[in-house]
Amino acid sequence: MIQVQNLSKSFKNIQAVNDISFTIKKGEIFGLLGPNGAGKSTTLNMMSTILNSDSGTIHIDGKNVSENSSACKRLIGVVPQEISLYENLSAYKNMQFWGDLYEIPSNKLKERIHTTLELIGLIDRKKDLIKTYSGGMKRRINIAVALLHNPEVLFMDEPTVGIDPQSRNHIFEVIETLNKQGMTIIYTTHYMEEVERLCDRIGIIDSGEIIAQGTLSQLKELVQTKESIQLEFNFLSENNIAKLRELLPYIITQNKNKLLIEITVKELSKVITACNEIQLSIKDIQLNKVNLEAIFLNLTGKQLRD
Amino acid sequence: MIVTILKKDLRLYFSDKKGVLVTFLLPIIMITLFAFAFGGVAKKKSTPKPLGVLVVDKDATITSQELITKLNGMQTIRLIASEEEKALDLVRKGKNVAALIFEKGFADAATVDADLPIELKYDAARDLQMRIVHTVLREGLKHHLGKTDVINNVHLKTTSLIKESSTKAHPGLVQAVGGTAIMMLLFSIAAIGGGLLDEKDAGTLKRLLISPVKPLDILLAKMGTAIVVSILQLTTMFVFAWLAFGLPVFMDVFSLTLLILCISFAVSSFGVLLVSTVKTRQQLQGMSTIIIILMSAIGGSMIPINMMPAFMQDIAVISVNYWGIEGFFDIFWRQLPLIEILPKMGILIAIGFGMTLTSTVLFKKNIIAIE
Repeated sequence: MIQVQNLSKSFKNIQAVNDISFTIKKGEIFGLLGPNGAGKSTTLNMMSTILNSDSGTIHIDGKNVSENSSACKRLIGVVPQEISLYENLSAYKNMQFWGDLYEIPSNKLKERIHTTLELIGLIDRKKDLIKTYSGGMKRRINIAVALLHNPEVLFMDEPTVGIDPQSRNHIFEVIETLNKQGMTIIYTTHYMEEVERLCDRIGIIDSGEIIAQGTLSQLKELVQTKESIQLEFNFLSENNIAKLRELLPYIITQNKNKLLIEITVKELSKVITACNEIQLSIKDIQLNKVNLEAIFLNLTGKQLRD
Repeated sequence: MIVTILKKDLRLYFSDKKGVLVTFLLPIIMITLFAFAFGGVAKKKSTPKPLGVLVVDKDATITSQELITKLNGMQTIRLIASEEEKALDLVRKGKNVAALIFEKGFADAATVDADLPIELKYDAARDLQMRIVHTVLREGLKHHLGKTDVINNVHLKTTSLIKESSTKAHPGLVQAVGGTAIMMLLFSIAAIGGGLLDEKDAGTLKRLLISPVKPLDILLAKMGTAIVVSILQLTTMFVFAWLAFGLPVFMDVFSLTLLILCISFAVSSFGVLLVSTVKTRQQLQGMSTIIIILMSAIGGSMIPINMMPAFMQDIAVISVNYWGIEGFFDIFWRQLPLIEILPKMGILIAIGFGMTLTSTVLFKKNIIAIE
């Protein structure tokens, strides 16, 4: 559906995007993960036709973005990072305005507004001015506007910044629904949990370069970090530790009544059996998964939120 | 504590370069303009440009010709020979302040010490200039005709070519309404143009650019809004002037409507140009205040054009205010037919087109450039 090849863009002396390439299949949710200033928005701006690249090409549904921008504009819906709405207009009037720009016939537009407002759960508030909405509700209308012309591809630039967990979940549900309906989605964020939950494939971008891409499991394989389990016992004597070490050679560290064990989740049953054998009662089990934060740290040597 | 807060406030104040510019540069510009306008400077060093007075010599005698030559030697006025009909037409149209007419029999009257058949026909809208011309000519006639001993011997008859009447506006009212209306309109339109910067800040401009709308359409739509608001504002001001001060707005509704349209176009294009040259609201506020006040001062919105020195009158033509105010004088005071006002309307439209064209280039560079 989307092919980005050797895309580069610089602003004065800053190389914002440096020779990136990736492909997105139809119906896929592709996450572009990276810290602030990594080049995510610049990449999306180029894909959205509003920024010319210095070199490289972008094809959406076979159409070259720089050569056929007007056709591409009708294929894509963009959810900008900013709440790009008119605060003194109602949600309905906002949607009517933006829908009119796509020359959607009036009857069809009414229908689309209704469907979209239902999808985002704000049909009852359609007559209210945007300025009376909460941050989360504004974000949802921000998404709804991008859906009015029924685009094939949806670009979402950090759509959950600064909102409450409830609204965030609602947005996730909307994205999942849209994806089930066959929409291709590109999702940029610096929240790894969002990417882990939503995306089929992930591109990790840093300093304008894509440093890794693939599914979450492919990315996990890329790095050597393993999942670990931390066990907490009610009481842990030296004797018990010695016995456990015999049964579980993969104990890494011990701190008071806590043990850190590097195993896969599948091996957890072995640990529990060993504890039962020496009649050691487990107070708490904590799973430390290999997540994108760890992968990013491993690949770049810095935290994702740096 | 007070000193700490004071220091912080001063630091913040001087860090806002545009604010500092408005605080210091604007008063300097205004002082300079008013100093020139009220003649406070330059007169010691240079002589002012003489006022052009048309002269019609119907007597055509050696006496009248010699007198004209002598009068022409005076520094304050410059006599320009003309035919009577043409001279009166030029004065009526506001091109010249007055026409001095030597009637037949002037030479005979001069020798017998009778009342001189000489008349000064003038444009009452240029009252101040007319007073200067009248005084200078009267003194000149007394001096060159050798009548300095009897003060009232030289009676220079004066006639206003455009008579005030109940159906006609007073030139002061035309100046006040026309000048203020255009200046206030410039401020309003600069604010509307600033809406583009608000859209840029809010992100709606980016969304507009992502939609199938052409960038130029965004600019033209904004200009369309400005034109509609301009028409409404000017119309409201003239209706108010009619209701409150009796300005005869229905005297020539067609010409007035056309002139309002032309001014609205020119002012709106100015607003769009202004907003296209800046990148932030702060820049716009600083720049618009300076430029609008400067343009209004030299264009005659603050001080009547004819009160200004010649060089300022020459540069006034670059402002929208000048052409608009002159157009209002043509309609309400001079009562010129539409054909005579059309050139001024044409200039307003040309200014508008020029500024719109420049805006389109700057708009792409400054406003829609995404980083």
